Amino acid sequence: MDMIDRYLNAVAAQLPQDERADIVAELRDLILSRFEAKEEELGRALNEDEQEAILREIGHPLVVAARYRKGPDSLVGPELFPYWLFGVKAGLMVLGAVHAILLLLRLVGGPADAGQAIAQAFHSFFGSGLTLIGAATLAAAIFEHQGIRPSFLRNWRVKDLGAFGLSDPAAWGASMAGTKAANATWMPQRKAKAWPGGEYLFSFLAAGIFVLWWVGVLHFPPFSAIELRGQDAVVTAAPIWSTLFAPILVYALIQMSVDLNSVFRPHAVRLRALARIPIALVGLWLTWRISEAGHWFTLTRGEETARIAGDWSLLDLNILQALGDGGRDLAGVASTLSVVMVWALAISALSLICSIILNLWRLARG
Amino acid sequence: MSLDPDLYESMRLELRRGSLVLAVLACLRTERYGYTLRQALAADGLEMEESTLYPLLRRLESQGLLNSEWREEEKRKKRFYVLSPGGVSMLAALTDEWRGINASLDKLL
Repeated sequence: MDMIDRYLNAVAAQLPQDERADIVAELRDLILSRFEAKEEELGRALNEDEQEAILREIGHPLVVAARYRKGPDSLVGPELFPYWLFGVKAGLMVLGAVHAILLLLRLVGGPADAGQAIAQAFHSFFGSGLTLIGAATLAAAIFEHQGIRPSFLRNWRVKDLGAFGLSDPAAWGASMAGTKAANATWMPQRKAKAWPGGEYLFSFLAAGIFVLWWVGVLHFPPFSAIELRGQDAVVTAAPIWSTLFAPILVYALIQMSVDLNSVFRPHAVRLRALARIPIALVGLWLTWRISEAGHWFTLTRGEETARIAGDWSLLDLNILQALGDGGRDLAGVASTLSVVMVWALAISALSLICSIILNLWRLARG
Repeated sequence: MSLDPDLYESMRLELRRGSLVLAVLACLRTERYGYTLRQALAADGLEMEESTLYPLLRRLESQGLLNSEWREEEKRKKRFYVLSPGGVSMLAALTDEWRGINASLDKLL
């Protein structure tokens, strides 16, 4: 079997039976004509490499055969694509939300298995997401192949379009992306345009007040003493805060510098995202160090002392539900504040992780 | 601002795509087989890949715009194509349309 036969056999295998012989005969003539023309140009017979080069020019057998195919040449054609895209995006959003809620409930119910729960949630989300995309593509391919056009493609009514506005995943995406172009395209336009640097100025001032308090310039008496049954209990910081004094100060100052830069350059989305990722990682590290310390404050009233301390085992919905039932004595208050502190650390860690993911996505989106 | 070569190539192909059918129909007022048709198009500045031209010829034939027959020439069987009566009418209609578009574009460009 020579090279032309091998090539034509590969093409023929992809062609419909009734047209195969006719198409192959025509292609054979084309190939021989090309060979003859090249031989005439060179004044000699072609070697195998030269013949193969011409066959490559004509095209890969799969591509050549595909050109003869009747019917649609794509799984999702241009008419169905907007519906397919909307369905897939909305479905993935819903799947993401459901998985996030289930993960949160699982983390609250059994924080000891947090790593496993997160891994399973991601695995389940990607599995169900790929199934969703596959099912949507299969449905679209059947519609394309059979030439089916559901009536809602043509006979839609304006009054039925409300659901598309409510479940507009592009708007959610634009909101998350935070890019100027995406917002201009998808988000509702506000009549009075606010100064874009405003939110960063607020964040800068808030961080500034924190820094002044942290270094001792500002004093907030309520933070150093709480009233218990008419007597003041003194709040003393645990050693972990002295250990982390400098890192927390530097963290706040860096946060302020990013906010200040954003005040003057509010549209520098990528630069801000790039800066916020390492900041959030440092924030996570600080949160981890604080939680690992296990002792955060000590309450003292007279001779009596109680520690505001704990670990991730306090991250339990049952404990949270029983929060109001604790005693009003020093130990009861310390116990309540311990639960609040653990939940605050958990929420802080979660928001920092979200910040990292969000900023990575903004970087990727540009 | 410099021209993006990839974008230009993509838009150029898109612009040409619609005109190729007209070119093939016009070329087949005279009977030709695939290889000589491609050479004739190339000689007039319209290069066309074989993998595009041959399936297009079959499609136009199945639409009743071309007639074809197998005939031996130069010791080999070749498939010759020529405009059918329906193809002649279609070519005339498309030519009018093309000239109309061309005239409109000439005013704009």
